[in-house]
Amino acid sequence: MKIDVGILGFGQSVYVKRTDRTLFSVLAEAARNALSSSGVRKDEIDGLAVSSFELPPDNAVTLAEQFGMTLSWAYLGTAGGAGPVAALINALRAVEAGQATAVLVLAGDTYDVAGHYRLMDNFNRALKNYGAPNGFGGANGLFAMIQRKHMAAYGTEREELGRIAIGQRASAMRNENAILREPMAMEDYLNARLIADPLRLFDCVLPCAGAEAVIVGSLDRSPPGKGVRVLAGYERHNYPVGELAPLRGGWELFRDRLYNDAGYGPKDMDFVQAYDDYPIMVAIQLEDLEFARKGEVGKFLAGHSFAWNGTFPLNTGGGQLSCGQAGAGGGMIGLTEAVRQLRHEARGRQLKKARRGLVSGYGMVGYGHGLSAGAIILERVP
Amino acid sequence: MTAASKDYPQPDRDGDNRPLLDGWQRGQLLLQRCEDCGRDFFYPRPICPNCWSAEVRWHGATGKGTIVSFSLVYRPNHHAFADETPIVLAEVLLEEDVAFLARVVNVEPAAVRIGMTVALLSPVEAARYPLPTFEPSRGPRRRDKIEERG
Repeated sequence: MKIDVGILGFGQSVYVKRTDRTLFSVLAEAARNALSSSGVRKDEIDGLAVSSFELPPDNAVTLAEQFGMTLSWAYLGTAGGAGPVAALINALRAVEAGQATAVLVLAGDTYDVAGHYRLMDNFNRALKNYGAPNGFGGANGLFAMIQRKHMAAYGTEREELGRIAIGQRASAMRNENAILREPMAMEDYLNARLIADPLRLFDCVLPCAGAEAVIVGSLDRSPPGKGVRVLAGYERHNYPVGELAPLRGGWELFRDRLYNDAGYGPKDMDFVQAYDDYPIMVAIQLEDLEFARKGEVGKFLAGHSFAWNGTFPLNTGGGQLSCGQAGAGGGMIGLTEAVRQLRHEARGRQLKKARRGLVSGYGMVGYGHGLSAGAIILERVP
Repeated sequence: MTAASKDYPQPDRDGDNRPLLDGWQRGQLLLQRCEDCGRDFFYPRPICPNCWSAEVRWHGATGKGTIVSFSLVYRPNHHAFADETPIVLAEVLLEEDVAFLARVVNVEPAAVRIGMTVALLSPVEAARYPLPTFEPSRGPRRRDKIEERG
């Protein structure tokens, strides 16, 4: 008999621009909050999946020692910002297969701006050897090339992409854990200082310290309205192969199976939590996941508003663009926000209609672009 | 300015990339070509990433290509680049049909365009840069091969 597995609880740490706290301290805060939200006891957790750039020389097993856990299943995320969504998919399968009964899925880092630059110069051998010696500007320099190419190929405009950043900022103003909460107008977005032309300041995320967590287990123990079912989930790594600055990602390969498995299509989603390292990558995800046709996302953006109370609720807690990017935690902030919305616990930014939504992940920048993509469709268990 | 006066981050020399780095010290761009499937590729690898053949050979590339996209980097990661901003960082489609990440120098940043043809720096200038670096090619601009790949 297949176990009905889902998400039983969620938690976050406080987000700050920089911190003296240890990585373990920040991860522990998110883990404790998720445990308390789930109603599961600490000694019932026998699986751990962790995604964190700063974790080495530690790993999932030594983290278990730090946290005093004994595990029958351990997973270390390798897909950067796509790691947490992939970890969730794998945690579900582990519980279904009986390898674990309850899994803590955890992601976070304690970065600041300088730490982020050091990370990007040593991100992997290809970037260290063939990116950093060119003064590549980290991810900003690479994604600026992708945005320029999208603008040239499809006529996408900065005014259209800016609607993503502005909508998310309006949501962040209802999120006390967001680091950037000042109102943002289109003028502010368009005229912000140049980082890597065509990217300006509000196209980029603020590296910060923080962590995110969910608990995965059997849904039969969650109280009414508090469980979240994962209807479908897929991941894809290193796609497209051999391109430097592609205008598409792995989502286009699995989207049909994703929607077929879920039994719902893009139009049935009450919200989208997309991986928002840059507005251009949100736009590309919206295309690849068929909210807009390829090359027509500019028109789509111009026709919608993206705050929690807008016509297309997107990254309803403010996303990484306004909350900050807590390293690998940035790949999980959309997941915890989705769970919060589906449990109707989003208070000042709670959607009226929050029955199901899509969460996507993206990350692990290699020679030119993010290698990994993932997406899941979540549904509230009544 | 000479190579010694700049502390650019350097690639780690290893068994896979030594011919590339040695070639660039002479001002040449070397690429790997798979003897089995015939494709050129970059970055250096121990096997062909297309067919996994171990029969890969280094050969001299023409050193010519076209800018497919680019960014002007005002905030480089490493301090060695701070007095050279904006860095022109480009996706260069080489004549060998390989996408190559490179700096383009000896150009007014505001004048860089998608479709601009570029060529390797002269060997004298090459010594300063850790990796193959380009400048706008002299002579009439070519306008082919600028369509997006894939």
